[in-house]
Amino acid sequence: MRLSKALNKSLWAFHLNSGSCNGCEIEIVAAITPRYDPERFGIKLVGSPRHADVLLVTGPVTKKMVEMVKRVYAQTPDPKIVMAIGACGISGGPFYESYSLDGPIDDVIPVDVYVPGCPPRPEAIIFGVVKALEKLETLQKQRA
Amino acid sequence: MLILMTQLDTGFGVWDPLVWLAALAVAIILGFIIRSFGVKDYKKGTDQTLPFLSGDKQENVEYIHIRASNLYWGYLDALKGYYSRLIPLHTGIVTDYLLWLFGTMAAAMIIGLLA
Repeated sequence: MRLSKALNKSLWAFHLNSGSCNGCEIEIVAAITPRYDPERFGIKLVGSPRHADVLLVTGPVTKKMVEMVKRVYAQTPDPKIVMAIGACGISGGPFYESYSLDGPIDDVIPVDVYVPGCPPRPEAIIFGVVKALEKLETLQKQRA
Repeated sequence: MLILMTQLDTGFGVWDPLVWLAALAVAIILGFIIRSFGVKDYKKGTDQTLPFLSGDKQENVEYIHIRASNLYWGYLDALKGYYSRLIPLHTGIVTDYLLWLFGTMAAAMIIGLLA
């Protein structure tokens, strides 16, 4: 796969927890361990959305987190991809009727890639990142 | 020749302001060249230009400013019994200070005369 000019060195991901139970976080961390080692392709987690190409969003978006999610999305430079990881982020999961939710994620910010599971396996998260790369290539071509 | 005229040789080293100015000019030009490689189509006037504070809103700088007193709050807290009495005495009114001055002087003189 050929990466676009803007992303031909690496793909950096920022993880944003919008109210997750921590199950998806454990799987995201598992996905970056040496067993899978996505960093050999330049894929790694970064500490600021200002440096990120992909947002890995977990959790069903609680009311307290709505502003943070919107702000972090706004602070991520373009072109960007949002991945909703886990059942909660996609549909609200077991909390879909909760009074304290403003989610799921695509009710708050636009989502490009959905990775289902409770929690999704690391292989599924990495597959989602590959899908995100393909979409980023498309976006970059449209901008060019 | 001009450079030689502005050169100062102290015996420990050489100081020449023109050389420093030339180096500064080169550094500025390099800075602009590096800056020109940056992404230009960012959204001005939005959150994209603000620092990332873990998703929190950036408060007024004066509100979040760390004052010097934050560095020695433990000292003030340990001596709050002393400060709680001392601070009200510092009213900022000149006549109060004069009263303290003359009152203390009078007390010292009386003690001196009695001793």
